[in-house]
Amino acid sequence: MSSRVLIVDDAQFMRDLLRDILEQGGMEIVGEAENGRQAVEQYKLLNPDLVTMDIVMPLRSGIEALIDIRAIDDAAKVIVCSALGQESMVNEAVSAGAKDFIVKPFQADDVLNIVRRVLA
Amino acid sequence: MDMSKYKSMFLSETEEHLRNMSALLVAVENDPADRDGIDALFRDAHSIKGMAASMGYTQMADLAHHLEDFLADFRKAGTIDPAAIDHLLQGTDLIEEVLAEIAADRPEPDVSAFMFAAPQAEDAPQNEHRLRLTLRENVVAPGARLLLLMGVFSEMGQIAAQRPSMEELKAGGAHRKIQFVLTGSLSRATIEEKVQCYPEVAELSFSDPGDERAPERRKQDRRQNSLASGTVRVDTVLLDRFINLTGELLTTRYALKTALKEQDLRELGEGLGQLEKLVGNLHSQVLKMRMMPVSTVTGRLPRVVRDLCRSNGKEIELKISGAGIELDRSILEEMSDPLMHLVRNAVDHGIERSGTVCIDVLRTRSHVQLRIEDDGRGMDPQLLRRRAREKGLIGERQAEVMRDADALQLICLPGFSTVDRVSETSGRGVGMDVVRSAVENLGGSLLIDAAPQAGTRITVTLPLSVAIIKILLFECAGKLLAMPLSRVIQTQLLSADKVLRRGKQRVFELKGETLPLLSLRKILGFSSPQGPTSLAVIVMELFGRRVGLVVDHFCGHQDVFVKKLPPPFDRLRGTGGGAVLGDGRVVFILDVQSLLEQQR
Repeated sequence: MSSRVLIVDDAQFMRDLLRDILEQGGMEIVGEAENGRQAVEQYKLLNPDLVTMDIVMPLRSGIEALIDIRAIDDAAKVIVCSALGQESMVNEAVSAGAKDFIVKPFQADDVLNIVRRVLA
Repeated sequence: MDMSKYKSMFLSETEEHLRNMSALLVAVENDPADRDGIDALFRDAHSIKGMAASMGYTQMADLAHHLEDFLADFRKAGTIDPAAIDHLLQGTDLIEEVLAEIAADRPEPDVSAFMFAAPQAEDAPQNEHRLRLTLRENVVAPGARLLLLMGVFSEMGQIAAQRPSMEELKAGGAHRKIQFVLTGSLSRATIEEKVQCYPEVAELSFSDPGDERAPERRKQDRRQNSLASGTVRVDTVLLDRFINLTGELLTTRYALKTALKEQDLRELGEGLGQLEKLVGNLHSQVLKMRMMPVSTVTGRLPRVVRDLCRSNGKEIELKISGAGIELDRSILEEMSDPLMHLVRNAVDHGIERSGTVCIDVLRTRSHVQLRIEDDGRGMDPQLLRRRAREKGLIGERQAEVMRDADALQLICLPGFSTVDRVSETSGRGVGMDVVRSAVENLGGSLLIDAAPQAGTRITVTLPLSVAIIKILLFECAGKLLAMPLSRVIQTQLLSADKVLRRGKQRVFELKGETLPLLSLRKILGFSSPQGPTSLAVIVMELFGRRVGLVVDHFCGHQDVFVKKLPPPFDRLRGTGGGAVLGDGRVVFILDVQSLLEQQR
């Protein structure tokens, strides 16, 4: 059975890109969210196997959403997406329980490798 | 349901499982991490349990169940300790005893005491790994990456002495390296495997914990002692000698350079003499480093004999002498299985009920002799002749004229077996061809002495070292060839009038013994030379008897490094390898016996 993924990013472009990469990798995209608040709501509704979470987003940041999701499900698998130059935020996210991180701009293979090993 | 009709089947199958277990236990004792072996043991115990329970033999079923449970822990750990092996050996013994009682229609003995005496299985062994991890240069957010990786490692075991610490990592900063101590049940290989899916990791190095109690270290020591490993321990004294020798060699090089520049022939000669001495010294030191006592391969034999006796009900004493004598490690490596085979043969087929197997190791100037001797039923040359004749391995005429001593060597022919019963799995003779070719590939020889009802003695003569050997160079039909000097008894220039004829066979006299003359040209398929005035003859042993091999002329001898021919050339019969001579020419090392075998 393919893994169910929730994509969270405020940019339509990034969501589409990630969707293509993950679908090509055999994963099922069960939902999308464009801010932290939506992300937490969607997580409760969909209970996905994995979340890709942008960090810098309106309403609630990715890190705040991550903390909220972990409060609902301690074992939640969340991968944060950040841009170059946001190392300190990545550190913070990992400390808060992100399972891994991808850095934009990313390569499809790298994304799939990371997603798969988190799902393994 | 009447189970009695299944009884004989139960008895024989259980016996088979027990035999299997004892063989496996020996194997596992030699290689405690033999997972397949442990699994197979578990399955055997499980089968015995199932059968015994179906038959209603509760004591045996309980006992087998106990062994199965006992094994389960080691199965999980993937390794087994010696105390457990002892317990399992005792357990299989006990099952055998119970089986004997059942076979004799007597009630099963009570075995509960044994089960209480089981040693506690050790907890999964704790390995201490000192790890040093480096991330690739291009990894972004390396601090976060290290944080994540440490999360992965902390799932593998206890983390200690971590630098930089988690707090330092969380605080940020461009850390790309981390070191820590990981204590857990995982082996190094497993850890490496787990890290493999992280391409961000450039390097993961393990440094020696320096802790004698760490099981990982112990395992490595064992591996270093074993022949199969590619590493050797070197005495530091020996290393110091190498350094000194290297220094002297450098000095000599300068002396030679100077002598050459000044055209001083006397100096040059002295320098070369010095060089020869130093290289000779270096050679002997290197060889010394490769030497290991024969006990490295005979060490496991007492247990094998004990277990063989156990499984076939014989009483056999194994005596080993001279196991302290040293041989080149590569020779020992190659001899390990053949030796095992010879001893098994002696136990399985030589000795009928009780007796002694002796292994004597003797050292001569350039050889080591292994004698495997039993006082069993021996062999009848007449019977061997008849069988070889029946199997079409020799001709009728050959069978008639063959001496008894030669007839005994027949058991080394492929496809020869003296055991009549089909049920016998390994007759004497099966595998003897393999043993002999192993010995001969090492430049050694194998000789069989036996008489009916008077025991069998197999003498294996091996060179001390294979790495560098002396070869005799000779020419035949314009080709330069060589053979190991160890195979040459003597060389002889024979004037044509000394060649006699006996029927079709050309012969000559050597110290009162008449030896047949074989022409190497003929063996190699070249035409015979035109009426030579004298013959160059190599006196050597072929198939256990002396012969004179006629070559065109001798070209001296040399120390060479013999290399095995690479596949597929190693399958060519008649060559025992090749060597590069001092002047750059390549020479094949001839194996005359295998050439003749091909023609037979």
